[in-house]
Amino acid sequence: MKQRRDTHTLAGAYAMDAVSAADRERFERHLAGCQECAREIASLREATALLGAAAAEPVPAGLKDRIMAAAAVTRQQPPAETVPAPASRRTPDRAGSWFRSLAWPGRLTLATAGVAGAAVLALAVVFGVSNGSMQQQIDQAQASSQQIAVVLTAQDARMTTGTVAGGGTATIVMSHSKHALVFTARGLHALPSSRGYELWLIGPSGIRAAGMLPAGSHGMTGPVIASGLRPGDHLALTAEPGGGSPRPDTPMMLDVAL
Amino acid sequence: MTATGSQEPGNRARPGPAASAGTDLAGQIALVARGEAAAFDAVFEQIGPSVFGAVKRVIRDPAQSEEVTQEVMLEVWRSASKFDAGRGSATAWVMTLAHRRAVDRVRSVQAEAERERRIASAEIPFDEVMEAVETSLERERVRRCLGALTEVQRESVTLAYYRGYTYGQVASLLGVPTGTVKTRMRDALIRLRDCLGVAE
Repeated sequence: MKQRRDTHTLAGAYAMDAVSAADRERFERHLAGCQECAREIASLREATALLGAAAAEPVPAGLKDRIMAAAAVTRQQPPAETVPAPASRRTPDRAGSWFRSLAWPGRLTLATAGVAGAAVLALAVVFGVSNGSMQQQIDQAQASSQQIAVVLTAQDARMTTGTVAGGGTATIVMSHSKHALVFTARGLHALPSSRGYELWLIGPSGIRAAGMLPAGSHGMTGPVIASGLRPGDHLALTAEPGGGSPRPDTPMMLDVAL
Repeated sequence: MTATGSQEPGNRARPGPAASAGTDLAGQIALVARGEAAAFDAVFEQIGPSVFGAVKRVIRDPAQSEEVTQEVMLEVWRSASKFDAGRGSATAWVMTLAHRRAVDRVRSVQAEAERERRIASAEIPFDEVMEAVETSLERERVRRCLGALTEVQRESVTLAYYRGYTYGQVASLLGVPTGTVKTRMRDALIRLRDCLGVAE
C-alpha cells in the first residue's frame, strides 16, 4: 500500500518527463494496472501541453519542407485491426497502448537522425527476404538507411512525383550534390512472381540500371536508394522478367525528369 | 480512431477549452493516418511552432532543436493511426512526444557533461520563461496560472518542464528533499490544470 502511494506521487514528475529511465519504467508498470492514474496523467498532460504551447516560436525556414519531404518517403504504421474482442480483454489492451506508443521513441536509439529510424524498419523488412545472416541484413539495412538519410537531409534535396502507367504514384527525393535519389511508390500493381519492377536512370550518358524494387507491402513500395545520378537524367520504371535486365526490354511505365 | 467505450463518465482527460484549438487538429491527424500529405501540412502549420519552441526551451541549441522537431513530426506522421482521441487531446499527444524526445536528447550520454555544467550555473528560469511575452491569449493564460502557484511549485515546474531536469536534479537545485519536490510537482500540475481549465 505504501509502495503504491509512493509510486503515485511520481505522477507530476512523470507527466513532465522529470524522471530517470528507471523511474519511468517503474511508473509505467504502475500505470498499466491503474486506470485512475492513467486518467490523471492524461489530464496533467493537457496542462503541460499548454506550457509547451506557451513557448511557441516561429519555425526556421526550410524545416517544414525537409519534414514534408521526409514524410513522403516514410512508411506509416498501420492502425490496430478492428476485431471483435471480449470487453474484458480489450480494456487493458487499450489502456496500455497509448503509453506504449509514447514510450517507444525514447527507447529506440539510432545513429542517424529523424527519417532513418523509420527507414531502418522499412528496410529491415525489405532485406528480411534476402540471403545472409541477420547481422548482415541489419548492417545492410543500416547502411541503406544512412544513405537515405544523407539524401533526405541534403541542402539541395528536391522532391518530385510521377504517375505510373498502369497504376500508382511515385515519389522521388533527389540530391544532385549526393548523386543519389530515394524512390518510393504507393499503389503499384502487384506483378506476377516472374516479373519485378526495375528502375533506370536515362541521360546523355546512356541508360543505367538503377536497381530492382522490393515487393510492396500494404500498397507501399520502398524506400529504395538509387545512386549514380547525373545531371540531365530521367528516372524510368519498367516491369522486367526475373531478377532484372541489363537493358529495359519492356515499356516505360514512368518517366520523370530529375 | 478507436471508439471510446471504455471511458467512464467524469473522465478527466476529456478535452476542455485547451483542446478547442486542437479539435481540428485531431481531425487532421485522422487524415494524416490515411496518408494525406495536405493534412500533415496543416498539422505542421498548427503545432510546428509549439513543438519547435518547447523543444528549443529544453535543448537550447537551435540546430539540434530542428533535428528533434523533425523527429517528432515524423513520429506524428508515422504513428498517426495510434492517436486515440478518447485518451486526450491531439495537442497533448503531440506535445508529449515532443517534450519526451527533447528530454531524451539532452539526457543522452553526449549531453551529460554539458548538462552538468549548466545545472551548476542554472538560474531560476521563471523570468526568462515569462520575458518572451509576445502577447497571445494562450501565453497570457499560462503566465497568469504559473503566477498563481507558490514560488517553489512554480520553480519546480519551470525547471522540470522548460529545462528538462529530473525531480532529483530539481531537488538539488532548490535544496529540498526529493519527496518534497515530487509532491510539489504533482500539486503544481493539478493546480495548473484546474487554472487553465483543461480538464475538470
